[in-house]
Amino acid sequence: MTVEPTLERSVTPLGRAVIARLRGVHKTYGPVRVLDLPELDLYAGQVVGVVGENGAGKSTLMGTLAGSVRRDAGEIEIDGHQLAPGSTAESARLGVALVSQEFPLVGQLSVAENLLLGRRPADSRRRVVVDRGAQRRAAEAMLAAIGLDPASIPVRRAVRELPVPARQLIEIAKGWGRDPRLLILDEPTSSLGPVEARLVLDLARRAAGQDKAVLFIGHRLDEVRAIADRIIVLRNGRLVADLAPEEASEDRLIREMVGNEVAHSTPKTAPTGTPTLLEISGLTADGLGPVDLTVREGEILGVAGLMGSGRSRLIHTIAGAQPATGGSMRLGGRPYAPKNPGQGTDAGIAMIPEDRKQQSLVLFAPIRDNVTISILRRISRRGILGPRRVRSAATAITDNVKVRMQSVDQPIGSLSGGNQQRAIFGRAFAAGPRLLLLDEPTRGVDVGAKAEIYELIDRAAESGMAVVAASSELEELLWICHRIAVMHRGRVAAVLERADATKESIMTAAATGQAVQTRNELNGNPT
Amino acid sequence: MSAPTLTPADAADTAAAPSAAASLLRKLVATPEAGVVLACVVAFIAFSSSAHTYYSTANLQVMGRDLAQFGILAVGESFVILTGGIDLSVGGLAGLAGILAGWFNVTHGMPGPVAIAATLLVCAGVGYWHGTMVNKLNVPPFVITLVTFTVCKGLALSITSGTPITGLSNIFGDLSLYYAGPVPIPALIFVGVCVAAWFLLERTYVGRQIYAVGGNAEAARLAGIPTRRRVTSTYVISSTLAGLVGILIIGRLGVADPSVAGSGYELTAIAAAVVGGVSLFGGEGRIVGIAAGAILLEFISNGLLALNVNEYYQTVAQGVVLGVAILADRIRAQYFGGNRR
Repeated sequence: MTVEPTLERSVTPLGRAVIARLRGVHKTYGPVRVLDLPELDLYAGQVVGVVGENGAGKSTLMGTLAGSVRRDAGEIEIDGHQLAPGSTAESARLGVALVSQEFPLVGQLSVAENLLLGRRPADSRRRVVVDRGAQRRAAEAMLAAIGLDPASIPVRRAVRELPVPARQLIEIAKGWGRDPRLLILDEPTSSLGPVEARLVLDLARRAAGQDKAVLFIGHRLDEVRAIADRIIVLRNGRLVADLAPEEASEDRLIREMVGNEVAHSTPKTAPTGTPTLLEISGLTADGLGPVDLTVREGEILGVAGLMGSGRSRLIHTIAGAQPATGGSMRLGGRPYAPKNPGQGTDAGIAMIPEDRKQQSLVLFAPIRDNVTISILRRISRRGILGPRRVRSAATAITDNVKVRMQSVDQPIGSLSGGNQQRAIFGRAFAAGPRLLLLDEPTRGVDVGAKAEIYELIDRAAESGMAVVAASSELEELLWICHRIAVMHRGRVAAVLERADATKESIMTAAATGQAVQTRNELNGNPT
Repeated sequence: MSAPTLTPADAADTAAAPSAAASLLRKLVATPEAGVVLACVVAFIAFSSSAHTYYSTANLQVMGRDLAQFGILAVGESFVILTGGIDLSVGGLAGLAGILAGWFNVTHGMPGPVAIAATLLVCAGVGYWHGTMVNKLNVPPFVITLVTFTVCKGLALSITSGTPITGLSNIFGDLSLYYAGPVPIPALIFVGVCVAAWFLLERTYVGRQIYAVGGNAEAARLAGIPTRRRVTSTYVISSTLAGLVGILIIGRLGVADPSVAGSGYELTAIAAAVVGGVSLFGGEGRIVGIAAGAILLEFISNGLLALNVNEYYQTVAQGVVLGVAILADRIRAQYFGGNRR
């Protein structure tokens, strides 16, 4: 869709028209400001690469433009038209197309129907009745338009029968088919093989050639550098660098992504002489492995990696929540092969999953019931639970981790995120585990409460528990861990001792899959 | 630019290459509806060979009338299930609709056609109310339609004070008791409803969008489909068809009797849909299967009657059929269904 501008387009020194103009756009979730852009212009005929760590604000920026995220304040103009906040329909009308990683496709419907979801083929003369021939022709034309051989994706087939790369290409064809002014590609090549990836990169260039603006969110720096005319770096929701490709060396980008703050803690010394608790050798699972790792009692092992690198899968596989397909584990010297999380719990493992609301808590139930569910058997007498026993056990648990609350009878959903998370730690401790598995232990917790969570993790390690903590926040890992395993495409790319670990060394291993010498080592300067 | 060829799970096609017959067979096995249709044929042959009255014209006509009743309910129910909802009110509403039509017609002296139109209008309103509650207030479909079911049963009894309404206009009997050739009119209405539903679902944009809403509501919303309107429309269709069934029932009996009013029909309707391959998660199922599911259940219940099977066991048999159908569907989905839930 081409919207004729009513206002005169402003022209930049480059002689290019501005397609998207963002002014003072920001967005806050709870206490965290996830996006804060005083000023950003996207020009016609340019591919703009966007890079940043997890949580840097890339997705929020895309969502704000596409209307799936409602911005708190600020103005966005597309081709001179004001974009109302938080309406996907409005964004689509003004010519913004988002190709997301999540593939909003209807699996049961055919490829053709998905490509034309919500609209009629242009050459269909019927208003009510589906013109299948026209639909098929339009779909094939859309696939051909992105350079695909229409025979390679049969448009009559149900989408759910197609493999993931094909779905990604369909999603791209869907976005392209709207003839957008601003095309946003969110890590479009992460699920594609080299040939299809090439096709998508060509497509982005072609869009620029047709005077569209392209926002290319990339996970691979070399790819972004190869394709972009301009690279912007986001960190903590702010635009920290706006570079021409020749300025944007991989080193420079990583430095901008992680920032220059020094890690604010003196590295902890790992416990010495404690026995090995968990030994993983050759462990594989869906999207994971083979992985070899060991964790000692009293040690905190961090797991770093980009989105989809297998951080959570590793945690889940150890816990027994995802079936292992090969390899072996030993826990405290004994073979350990959990078939379900129950067997993991029995072997002395406690897991604190990533999503508090979905995976940990019954939000509307009282605190007392939430914190005692893993020890009900122990606090019951011959299978019978008295309310007083539950309440006193719950009080002991919440006191232990200092949950701030009025009474154990209030719903746990009425607590702050930090307090909820502490209650979950209390519940995990109550079961007396040997191994504590953490997945994003401070997600959705404000800064003050984070420090308190870190104290709890330290306390667990000091009491002799082994801790494995996966996190997307590098600062967090550097703060709490003794050692850090960096994952890349399901494997452990590097295991860094705390003294060698910097944000840069972690990021490099996570992005490239190779452990390289750290800058400090090169300078002969141990941290 | 060279066009890369991407091979999407073509293993099926290449593996079954040896003969066209084998691939056709494979296609048939992979089609959810094929099993039900086959089961219909098998059931009919089996019953016919063991009871001669089974395939007599008279019995076929009885089956046609029965089928019209819960078959039409099953079609309406399926629309709701396709969006991932459920409508428990259809049996109760059908019952109330019959009483209402009689009440309008006899007690209020409305001419037959007007009474019928008024009844259908009331039912459509009930469906609109369901849709609105589900969409706007997020009431679970199960709950809101259960409310209607309960109210309908009570209303049917209180309107009539428990006594049947007699003296209905001729139009009711004409609709239910007459034949076109050897075929009873209600059976024709059933066929008509099926064809209309098939056309709506398979050949119109609205129908395809109903599938999209049931299959992935978020994708549908992002694509600009008015998801709420689509969902509401399915409740309206379901309730209106329930009203139609209610009218057919009183025509067949000649009186509007609150004590026989359509109770338990909703479960048979849901069973027919599930047997016919409709996924209770939404987005999946076709009219061919739904009709075949309804026909199969009718074949079996009537067949057991013809074989003089104890009435109590007939219900057991229906449950077993439902169980087998679900099992077969799951097994089939495991092998052929892609990402089918």
